[in-house]
Amino acid sequence: MSVEAQLTFGGPALELRQVTKFYGQFKAVDDVSFALPAGSIYGFLGPNGAGKTTTIRMILDIIKPTSGEITLLGHRSALDVRHRIGYLPEEKGLYKKMKTWSVIAYFASLKGMKRPAARQRAFELLERYGLKDFAEKPTDALSKGMGQKVQVLASIAHEPEFVILDEPFSGLDPVNQEVMEEIIRDMARRNRTVLFSTHVMEHAERLCNRILLMARGKKIFDGTIPDAKRILPRRVRIETEDDIAPLRELREVASFRPIEPPVTTVPNSANGPPHSNGITKWELELKENSDPQSILQFCFEQKIRLHSFNQTDPGLHEVFVRLVGPEAKEAAFR
Amino acid sequence: MRYALLVAWREYAENAKTKGFWIGIFLLPVILFLSIQVPIWLEKKATPVRYFVLVDQSGKFADVVESGLEKHHQKQLLEELNDYARKNAAGPEVPALLKEFNEHNPRAVDKFMTRGGKESFLAQLRPHLKPGAPAFQEPRRSFQPVKAPAEVNSASDPASVAEVLKPYLRGKKTLEYEGQPIELTAAVLIPRNIEAAIVRPKSKSPATDRQSAATGQIQYWSANAGDQRLRDEIERLVNNEVRQREYLARGMDIAAVKEVEQTYVPFTSLNPKKEKGKEAVSEADMVKQWAPSGFVYLLWMAIFVIIQMLLNNTIEEKSNRIIEVLLSSVTPGELMMGKLAGIAAIGLTMVGAWMFALFGILGWKAGGASEVAGHLLTTLKSSNLVPLFSLYFLLGYLMSAGIILSIGSVCNTIKEAQSYMGVLTMIMMVPLLTMTFIPKDPNGPLARVLSWIPFYTPFTMMNRAAADPPLLDLIGTFVLLIGTTALALWMSGKIFRIGILRTGQPPKVLEMLRWAARRRE
Repeated sequence: MSVEAQLTFGGPALELRQVTKFYGQFKAVDDVSFALPAGSIYGFLGPNGAGKTTTIRMILDIIKPTSGEITLLGHRSALDVRHRIGYLPEEKGLYKKMKTWSVIAYFASLKGMKRPAARQRAFELLERYGLKDFAEKPTDALSKGMGQKVQVLASIAHEPEFVILDEPFSGLDPVNQEVMEEIIRDMARRNRTVLFSTHVMEHAERLCNRILLMARGKKIFDGTIPDAKRILPRRVRIETEDDIAPLRELREVASFRPIEPPVTTVPNSANGPPHSNGITKWELELKENSDPQSILQFCFEQKIRLHSFNQTDPGLHEVFVRLVGPEAKEAAFR
Repeated sequence: MRYALLVAWREYAENAKTKGFWIGIFLLPVILFLSIQVPIWLEKKATPVRYFVLVDQSGKFADVVESGLEKHHQKQLLEELNDYARKNAAGPEVPALLKEFNEHNPRAVDKFMTRGGKESFLAQLRPHLKPGAPAFQEPRRSFQPVKAPAEVNSASDPASVAEVLKPYLRGKKTLEYEGQPIELTAAVLIPRNIEAAIVRPKSKSPATDRQSAATGQIQYWSANAGDQRLRDEIERLVNNEVRQREYLARGMDIAAVKEVEQTYVPFTSLNPKKEKGKEAVSEADMVKQWAPSGFVYLLWMAIFVIIQMLLNNTIEEKSNRIIEVLLSSVTPGELMMGKLAGIAAIGLTMVGAWMFALFGILGWKAGGASEVAGHLLTTLKSSNLVPLFSLYFLLGYLMSAGIILSIGSVCNTIKEAQSYMGVLTMIMMVPLLTMTFIPKDPNGPLARVLSWIPFYTPFTMMNRAAADPPLLDLIGTFVLLIGTTALALWMSGKIFRIGILRTGQPPKVLEMLRWAARRRE
């Protein structure tokens, strides 16, 4: 490792300061700033057209920002540290007539690996990830999922310190999605920094230390997942056959509403709230900084008999929809 | 630089695996070999002997035709013998022998025949033959008279004779000659009253009379309308004989007439540009003048084949979005350089293989089988055609490659690229169309104008290479070509950088030029 690289160690692996990009009149990225600590897994979320790919391309110095600064591993241009960066683009493709091992070795050699080492590494990776039999076949003999796996392997073959994966899970079956997750976790364990974009919130929720949310070219949220969830009010679900009116008076409760009973049940009166066997399900939204335990205690004091008490956190999915919902719909119709 | 080389190496290795590359490599040697070998082969084997039946009811022309055809054969034989002597004999007496029996001299054949023909010629030649010279092979007779089949009654009228011969002429029946079944090519029927059909300038023409036209003329029957040599030869012989008899009838000295007929002035072509004493224009000079046209064609083929590869690869990278991975590893400049160099190396390999094959085949055939091959080989060795070809190939390629990379970078599919390629191909056709005109007037206005259009410079200057173009044209167009090539590459570099990441509809040419003119992207 060079002296310079050691100096940057400990600082942010990536830092964007007030980065803006115009395509003609269109502002694709609008004054975005963020920093990625080394060794973290960062989820890069946002609806289609939010400016994620443009931002990634600017980070990689494939295109230049109109204004603002980007520092990657302590350098102003990704090309200065290209050996230490891996990139999997959103749209995946391989040279159709090239042999599978040869594609991996070629991309690794473009990242500074010597040809013989790159070749050896390609075979190792293909064997480890169950594609050994395809090593000598041209890539157009691979299925879509296999091809994508090969491309992932090609982007990490040179053991990069910093990896950018644009939609790494799309097109993979559940088993291979787990393999992909494992690859990402494995890199993080070895203190690599991973920035990946996805539309599937479950992946982000399972993998990321932090997430960055963009919409319409702007940064909307940057922080940990618990931080993100705190944006939405906490919820409690209860099941009871008693009247819950006293709960209205509790200051922790922001609102409550009955939720759908299971479809198999039949309402026993035309106007009553949905319930099954006289039991009604309610969802209570809590005010900020309130403790769900206080609800439980209150019910106990008020002799409201609870069949169940569920303290549910909002999913990242809901956070996403809440934060960018109108934007995303608009983008979809654009 | 290392990265450009890596890109170049991949381009080279992958394209060298394609079918197109190998077809390109082998196409030229195969065509060259065939174009030398096929005429030799045709001359030796393929032209069949034409068998014919001559029914001469007048009894006046049969001998004339027979002896005339024999003389025709002897002339061919003499030509072959002269050729054989030129290639296989050496020594101070050989030129004298060749001069005495020079086939262009009308009397040489008579002399040859009276002096013992082939046998005596070969006997004279034998002491001068080079060691290891092959034995002389007598050419086959072109025309062979055969006896009419037995059922032909030569006394009956021509129409019924023709009727009997028709099945033979149609190939339904075969005749026999020297124990072999043969197919009859033609039948010549000379009617009894042929004298009456002779047309004289001052007499009334009987040809206008339809009735006698059918019966009174010499009839040449043949199902083969393509090969008229036999008809022409017999017609010539008969008419010569008719004229001879006219001379006699008018009391003219037949010997004097013959002498007059054999009087001629030798003719020679000279080139003022050649060294004093060596001005005579020979077959070698013709080869030298036309050889550049061949190189123009090669140049065009080579460039066209490899720019197609460049286009396909660029579009593949773009449509597969491999380009993004590449651009995270190399700069657009390095990528472009690598692609240009890799495909150039492919082109040079192909052209190198062509040159290797060219010299190989010519060297092999120049020994004896083909005179043209020998002249071509001498021309190539003594002129600067090959180095000029390599130079113009590289520059011509780089200029078109600039255009191709611009097109490739903005198109997502080959289909999109085709509309641009159509225009480019049309522009590129011009040197092919003018290829045959330029050697006829190598320093004329067309050649000069085209030379100064940089896109056509390589082709046109290649075409003019044998005609010593003025130094101004040679150097001026070269400097202009280098300058324009550099400009084309610089502009395409800018278009490439913008176009390669673009998706959607390809832009208009004007918009691409605007990108190229932009100071910063």
